[in-house]
Amino acid sequence: MNRPAIAVTGLGMITPAGHTTDTTWDGVCRGESFARTVPELHGCAVDFACTVSGIDLDEAVGGRTAFRMGRYVKFAVLAAREAVADAGLDPAHWDGARVAVVVGTSSGGSAGLTEQAVALERRGPEATSPSGILLTIPSMPAAEIAIQMKATGPSLAPCTACSSGVTALSVARDMLALGQCDIAIAGATESIVFPVAMTGFARSGAAALRDGDPARLCRPFAADRAGLVMGEGAAIMVLERAEDARARGAAPRALLAGTGATTDAHHPTSPHPSGAVAEAAVDAALADAGWRAEEVGHVNAHGTSTPLNDATEAALIGRAYPHRPPVTAPKGVLGHCMGAAGAIEAGLTVLTLQHGIVPPIANLDAPDPGFAIDCVTKAPREVSVRRAVSHSFGFGGQNAVIALQAP
Amino acid sequence: MRGNTVKSQTIHPKITEVLTETFKVPAAEILPESTMDSLEMDSLAVAEFAVIIKETLGVAADSEKLYKDATLTDISAFIDAAVGGEAAGSAVPVSNTR
Repeated sequence: MNRPAIAVTGLGMITPAGHTTDTTWDGVCRGESFARTVPELHGCAVDFACTVSGIDLDEAVGGRTAFRMGRYVKFAVLAAREAVADAGLDPAHWDGARVAVVVGTSSGGSAGLTEQAVALERRGPEATSPSGILLTIPSMPAAEIAIQMKATGPSLAPCTACSSGVTALSVARDMLALGQCDIAIAGATESIVFPVAMTGFARSGAAALRDGDPARLCRPFAADRAGLVMGEGAAIMVLERAEDARARGAAPRALLAGTGATTDAHHPTSPHPSGAVAEAAVDAALADAGWRAEEVGHVNAHGTSTPLNDATEAALIGRAYPHRPPVTAPKGVLGHCMGAAGAIEAGLTVLTLQHGIVPPIANLDAPDPGFAIDCVTKAPREVSVRRAVSHSFGFGGQNAVIALQAP
Repeated sequence: MRGNTVKSQTIHPKITEVLTETFKVPAAEILPESTMDSLEMDSLAVAEFAVIIKETLGVAADSEKLYKDATLTDISAFIDAAVGGEAAGSAVPVSNTR
């Protein structure tokens, strides 16, 4: 099928490293973890995380509406506004019927649901919020963005665990290719730094447990890696057909060249040890982009810092890209932003293409000696790269890979 | 409301606090003659407002009947009367962490 080229014309982010794309990029390039003790998690086995801080979200989102939004919805609204402004678009003047909103999340408003459950149990139905349902459902980020931006085209919320962000970008790409919209606001959001989710992660065995300074704990691809550290945030892109972007004089940040998705069909938390199915997602993305593996100049890895993921992924990277392109893993700095991670990391990959810089992996001096991959450590590395990929391998074995290209 | 008292033109401080802090209504817009409608508080926002008043002051009200079209002066008088009329139920702080 001869598909139109798809351009990334806008990017917005809110992460533990910053409230905008630029501040996030600066923070990620410093290569130091943002993990810290979180007072609201007092008493939990895991009482630290990388959180979005230093911003009054309600003030930023604006009056009369923030009260009905969960934290994950506020993140998405703020990132979407930045992305649309970055694209040089003005919702007051666009044909909203041709604008789609595709914003994924893994856990949606589970934090809000828990808060309402506690209110109901302790104080009765009259103490619960009339917005209780709005605070929980995963489609509200897309719906609230649509309301704010008068985007009356299709909107939806892909949910594929930690690969939800890449899935959302992939679905949005398809909608543009099929002519279902002219502009797609796409990405993902997540906020589950609250006691129930953090306790669940601690009990699942995937989380790094407290051992000294939380900022030293997330060490993707290190020999002594000890599990994931929770993050939160959102990243949203504006996607358009490249021809349309050119026609309106917009300069793309990058092109979305291809995507690939597979499912391990193996186990809810453990990746298949062979990595063969995840590798098939890489192969699918490269085939979709029409690239040969050796053309890939950079890999933004899933790199969760869990023993199993990093071993499986390092072996996969060695096999899939034998020419050893530079690898980074932003979760060392940002923590694992769960459903938002794939969108944030795709955004960082776009910035690597634009700036010619691969950010370093936090807390890593050198990769596990068993891993034959070229990890960027300690300082940002200047690279000349035109083609890059970002991996997302979610719980449930939901794998998605995105291929991005300099325009 | 008690008809024999002169209507106070002051706004109950909890109303101002909730409108500015939870709903981010600019303080300059909060006037004795303002209504929820004029403050652009939709029915969902007014219902949430009613829950917060109930949870913090122990004053229950049908938000559509009592708050939607009333002025802030009217609402203040209603809250004052309800709080003064009986020892208000134990005030429970509302979590605002979402």
